[in-house]
Amino acid sequence: MGYPHEPHPKETLILSKHFGDAGARSYDGWVKCGGYQALKRALAMDPADVIEIVKESGLRGRGGAGFPTGLKWSFMPKERRKPHYLCCNADESEPGTFKDREIMRWTPHALIEGCAIAQHAIQAEVCYIYIRGEFTEPIAIMQAALDEAYREGVLGGNAMGTNRRIDMYIHRGAGAYICGEETALMNSIEGRRGNPRIRPPFPAQQGVFGMPTTINNVETLVSVLPVLNEGAEWYKDLSLGNPKSTGTKLFSVCGHVRKPGNYEVTMGFPLGELVNDLCGGMRDGRTLKACIPGGSSVPILNREETEACLLDYEGCVEQGTMLGSGGVIVFDDSADMVYQIMRLARFYAHESCAQCTQCREGTAWTVRILERILRGEGEMKDLDLLLDLSEQMTGKTICVLSDSCAAPIVSGIKKFRDEFEAYITGAKQPVAALT
Amino acid sequence: MPALLINGQRVDAADGATILDAARAAEIDLPTLCWYPKLPTVGNCRICVVSVEGEDKLLPACAATVAEGMRVETESAAALDARRGVLQMLLERYPADHLINGGRAEPRNEFEEYVVRYGVTPRAVAAHELSLRQGDERPGDPMISHDMSLCILCTRCVRACEDIQVVGVLDVAYRGEGAQIVVGADGDPDKAACTWCGECVRVCPTGAIFEVMPRERFGESRVAADRVVRSICPYCGVGCQIDLHVKDNEIARVTSPTFEETTPNDGSTCVKGRFGYDFTQHRDRLTKPLIRKGWVRRGGRWIWEGATGAARRGGPWQSMTEEGRGDKPAAPPRAIGKRIRDLSLLERITADVRDRATTPETWYQPFREATWDEALELVTQELTRIHADHGPDAMAVFQSAKCSNEENYLLQRLFRGAFGTNNVDHCTRLCHSTSVSAMQDALNTAAASGSMREVEEACDVIFIAGANTTETHPVFGVSLKRAHERGAFLIVADPRRTELAARADVHLQMQPGTDVALLNAMLQHILAEGLENWSFIETRTHDFDTVRKAVQPYTPERAAAITGIPAELIRAAAERYARGPNTTTIWAMGLTQHLTGHDMVTSLLNLILATGMIGRWGAAMMPVRGQNNVQGSSDMGAIPFAFPDYQAVADPANRDKFARVWGVDPKTMSLVPGLTVTEMAREGSPVKALYIMGENPIISDPDIAHAEAWFRTIEFLVVQDMFLTETARYGDVILPAASFAEKTGTFVNTERRIQLSEQAIDPPGQARADWEILVDLSNRIGIKSPFSSPADVMEEIREVAPAWAGVTYARLRGGGLQYPVPHDDHPGTAFLFADRFPTADGRALFHAVEYADPGELPDDEYPFVMNTGRMLYHWHTGTMTRRSRGLDAREPVATVEVHPDDAAELGLADGDMAKITSRRNSIVISVRMSDRVARRQIFVPFHFREAAANLLTNPVLEPHAKMAALKVTAVRLEPATVPATA
Ligand SMILES: Cc1cc2nc3c(=O)[nH]c(=O)nc-3n(C[C@H](O)[C@H](O)[C@H](O)COP(=O)(O)O)c2cc1C
Ligand code: SF4
Ligand code: SF4
Ligand code: FES
Repeated sequence: MGYPHEPHPKETLILSKHFGDAGARSYDGWVKCGGYQALKRALAMDPADVIEIVKESGLRGRGGAGFPTGLKWSFMPKERRKPHYLCCNADESEPGTFKDREIMRWTPHALIEGCAIAQHAIQAEVCYIYIRGEFTEPIAIMQAALDEAYREGVLGGNAMGTNRRIDMYIHRGAGAYICGEETALMNSIEGRRGNPRIRPPFPAQQGVFGMPTTINNVETLVSVLPVLNEGAEWYKDLSLGNPKSTGTKLFSVCGHVRKPGNYEVTMGFPLGELVNDLCGGMRDGRTLKACIPGGSSVPILNREETEACLLDYEGCVEQGTMLGSGGVIVFDDSADMVYQIMRLARFYAHESCAQCTQCREGTAWTVRILERILRGEGEMKDLDLLLDLSEQMTGKTICVLSDSCAAPIVSGIKKFRDEFEAYITGAKQPVAALT
Repeated sequence: MPALLINGQRVDAADGATILDAARAAEIDLPTLCWYPKLPTVGNCRICVVSVEGEDKLLPACAATVAEGMRVETESAAALDARRGVLQMLLERYPADHLINGGRAEPRNEFEEYVVRYGVTPRAVAAHELSLRQGDERPGDPMISHDMSLCILCTRCVRACEDIQVVGVLDVAYRGEGAQIVVGADGDPDKAACTWCGECVRVCPTGAIFEVMPRERFGESRVAADRVVRSICPYCGVGCQIDLHVKDNEIARVTSPTFEETTPNDGSTCVKGRFGYDFTQHRDRLTKPLIRKGWVRRGGRWIWEGATGAARRGGPWQSMTEEGRGDKPAAPPRAIGKRIRDLSLLERITADVRDRATTPETWYQPFREATWDEALELVTQELTRIHADHGPDAMAVFQSAKCSNEENYLLQRLFRGAFGTNNVDHCTRLCHSTSVSAMQDALNTAAASGSMREVEEACDVIFIAGANTTETHPVFGVSLKRAHERGAFLIVADPRRTELAARADVHLQMQPGTDVALLNAMLQHILAEGLENWSFIETRTHDFDTVRKAVQPYTPERAAAITGIPAELIRAAAERYARGPNTTTIWAMGLTQHLTGHDMVTSLLNLILATGMIGRWGAAMMPVRGQNNVQGSSDMGAIPFAFPDYQAVADPANRDKFARVWGVDPKTMSLVPGLTVTEMAREGSPVKALYIMGENPIISDPDIAHAEAWFRTIEFLVVQDMFLTETARYGDVILPAASFAEKTGTFVNTERRIQLSEQAIDPPGQARADWEILVDLSNRIGIKSPFSSPADVMEEIREVAPAWAGVTYARLRGGGLQYPVPHDDHPGTAFLFADRFPTADGRALFHAVEYADPGELPDDEYPFVMNTGRMLYHWHTGTMTRRSRGLDAREPVATVEVHPDDAAELGLADGDMAKITSRRNSIVISVRMSDRVARRQIFVPFHFREAAANLLTNPVLEPHAKMAALKVTAVRLEPATVPATA
């Protein structure tokens, strides 16, 4: 059930099955739902075998990059010569994305279980769950669940009675989007400024506190439960499009649809169907204009592309965009794309950690130009300048925040150039107040 | 060794090298902004990007490691485009209008050079869409200031401050376009513990962070130096290499060489090295020889026709004693009878700085200017006459730890060779003389066994006893902090909570002067735990049993009772020390300047030997030497018992050898060790003629009042100095000498590194290099000195000093040489004693020592213990630093550190004037409340003549080395009122 709406028959409820059911929040409730079985299974296995199953299942990271999870785990040193760490990325600050929040609100023990399995697989005694600071309610729920898990002996020095130590700590973010980037997150945990680090060294060699570290998204970690409960084969079969994309995925749909919310569908599900059927389509008299399928950081799709797009890693790439975090932002024909793109650019300019030249100056400069265009002070050559800047911001910086700023600009100018030109030529009234 | 192709050229790179390393090694130029040698790589500017075959993105050359078979194009269209993009974006926030001048662009800094090189045209500031950058700017700072519109946020300064200097004053604050460099939390560098080292200035690629003095002179354009000359910093024994930028025969700027791997400072300096150079241009510099007015030349001879008796050496000035009592000139009349605290801030400041250490006009009155010929004729006549009338014992010389090896060599050569006296000494007496005597007894050596850099590279435990390294040897202190950061265990024994003590893993805060009890107890515990190094003791030492017996009674509990350190801490420190595996032991004046200094060092050496913590890379014995050439002047025989290279004067074979080289009759030379500095200048000393080169004993020696009384009685006094110092006031002849920058010479740092300092500018007026004066004088007095350059002198030195046999000026260029350098091909010696000590049978000797009271103990009348020493911004008697604008501005007044609780008890607060009285004298000084000192202890720096610490100190002498007990004086502390003026 994609709470708060009734589940749609086309959804496949695995991760969100218990959304809306407050009973599943407690330890007892979670056990009644079949919880902690996967962990028990995992702990009985050799860590390498757990990794193998996850590899087999085809599970890929749900945080944005879609990196195969089992493979990532296998990068960790096989022998534990130094402490290993797991970081759970619950910073969820990508505009339009709100799935991890619901996972933590409704099934906190699922996340604890997922983390514990991953910790076993990568031999990490300690996991930091880095939760976006504004998520006050999910933090409280997670903390209560964590305390319970310690009381019930799931965690601690004798986790699940196996004589092994599994510890978890919640770390609150302090309001910076960039701290969701994995290496910035590690700096933040260490008490430093949340600047992304250059790679190499990769986290599996030198992560948090300089120790081998794996970092996974919340949804990725809870997706490990069905893999262990039902088996890799079963999980692999959940795939409607490309076999390289398996399982189910939560999509947070927002914008100009009748029924925004979280929807869980099988990989490869058509984006058009998600928007038009599951979400009830556009409001009365409105038509679909554009859609950003993967959180604000990916290229914008126009109507045709949206309707042709299959929601998996490959399907999105085919349409010139990315699956990203699965935050689907929908625009109908009333949307002012120039204004929307300026708002996105402002977000990135504000959130840039300001290390890289192109990102620090490029995002800010981009915003200034867009604002000028919206004020009716633009020139045609500004569009080239914007594209130039975007070119400089793409593929040249430490992390991809700067690419993320460029993506909607480049695709926006390409697909909605007439809207930009209308402001420049005066065909469209300037925006009076740029809020 | 991966091989790769860069621009089609095959390059063999080291494993783990970055593309940048590989390219630079192959002399392929790559632009960099955020990358800087020895700073952690952050890869944020993105200007160094290159194309690599098979990579869909450009890679930052500074951060990407090479791989076998990699094909790199550094000048691909994509890379060039990206670089221009970076520059264009940076320029959008940077004031570069001066670069838009029709292609005649004059780049002013590293960044602008790239702008010009890549042909990027800046847009006029007025047309910018982004505002100029902001940041904290240190307005009004005397040394370092910022213009943050020039900042390109490369963060080199942040990393230099954090990772090299381990201070962390600078950081990036805010994000996005608002990101900027900030100073501490509120812009105040003082609160953020800035040390003004200027590392940020050094690394900044745009001059956003700059030195105030050159900027005032040259504006924003670069210092267009006429030449840049390699020199050695004239302050402490670290011996930092510095580059003097010369403009119009003045030092315009000081920088430090970066890339040489072997310099002691790796490109860093402390505040004194970087900013303390303007004393060379001070108006007080002596430019002509001075002769006391009573001397007149009649019938071809100089005769004294002036006053006799006490007035003979008087002047319109008052003696230090009286100054110290507080009758200071020019106190504002409003202040009469008020306590300082009752004054307005402005009045308080004028009261405090009213007698900064510039030479008062009146000091010159007893003198007249003379020609060199007159001055040297008079000196020659009087020295020869007194020698003839009173014999060799009446002759004495204070040599100088601030002068070069060549100069020190020449001066002792003159006095030993021409006057047959060994009354030759210098301020090492008040420095490491007790270390030398103890090390001579135990190991027959007189210098550090290791190198400074090994501490950072290889040592596991650092034990610092009585050394405030971060203030007194800042560049070495910082490397200790880096060693600690990388995981070395730090133990500090110090009665004060110095910076290192505060960051130490174990701070042994003892009662002053109780070190022997502590060190014996550490050894006792090590033996009790069986942690001693038996094989070392058995194969490399003698007489361990006496020490084993002697330390038995020193249980940690007993030591705790004496030292005030909890027994548990003593145990913990002892165990860590012994477990090493590599422990380096560092000490300085806190151990040596005691009545029992020799014993303290001996007990420390026992600890070193019993645990075998010597003679390995990482296990060094490091007495850190104070002055820039205190090691070298001792090496050059400026000590009463030895010729150069520690060849005993008592050995006739040595005498004969030196007599032969110097061309004198051996029978005229003395086989008896001479008097020490502390013995020469005191009542009853036989000395009648004294020659002082570059020292200021009136301020630096204990019990100034008595020293002054003695100086008034002397028959003939020559002072060779840059300034008319407190000591020179008593002189008959004052010879104006060149500063470090005005002459060439070699200096030895604390790790035995001989380094070459080259002449950068001409001396002012008729001032001459010390070596020139000495060659002239030697020839006049009749000891042949056919030297026309310091290099000539070095040729003679290497003939007589076996450890220096391989030293030539040509070989010294670059990193210098660590002696022993026994022959021309010898590379120098980074650490000593790997398998034997320089004793007769190669074994070290243990000597048992017992704890004894540190001399003057506090009582009801004098309840405080006064400790004396140095502070970061000043140097010794202040002749140089107090004439350096920036340094003096940081610490303009004499202060005493008082524990806040003691201050509260006495009704004193920060900035109040207090009177300190010892059994000998009293001074008036400004209070600084500080919990660095323990209760009932105070700390007084000895740099300030207006509140000279040594008026108070005790002239008792340590029996072995004749060291003065400068660290322990019982005193009384009370609030002072501003004295009434006449
Ligand atoms: C600017 C930026 C912000 C990011 N924010 C998040 C985030 O909030 N949550 C998240 O899970 N991943 C975020 N990521 C992705 C992470 O860096 C990382 O790829 C992910 O946590 C890996 O987990 P996964 O393999 O399970 O997807 C962000 C990446 C970037 C570049
Ligand atoms: S791209 Fe932007 S957010 Fe990412 S590291 Fe660089 S400056 Fe920081
Ligand atoms: S002040 Fe200089 S060194 Fe510091 S970040 Fe700015 S440009 Fe770089
Ligand atoms: S020099 Fe390589 S990124 Fe700055």
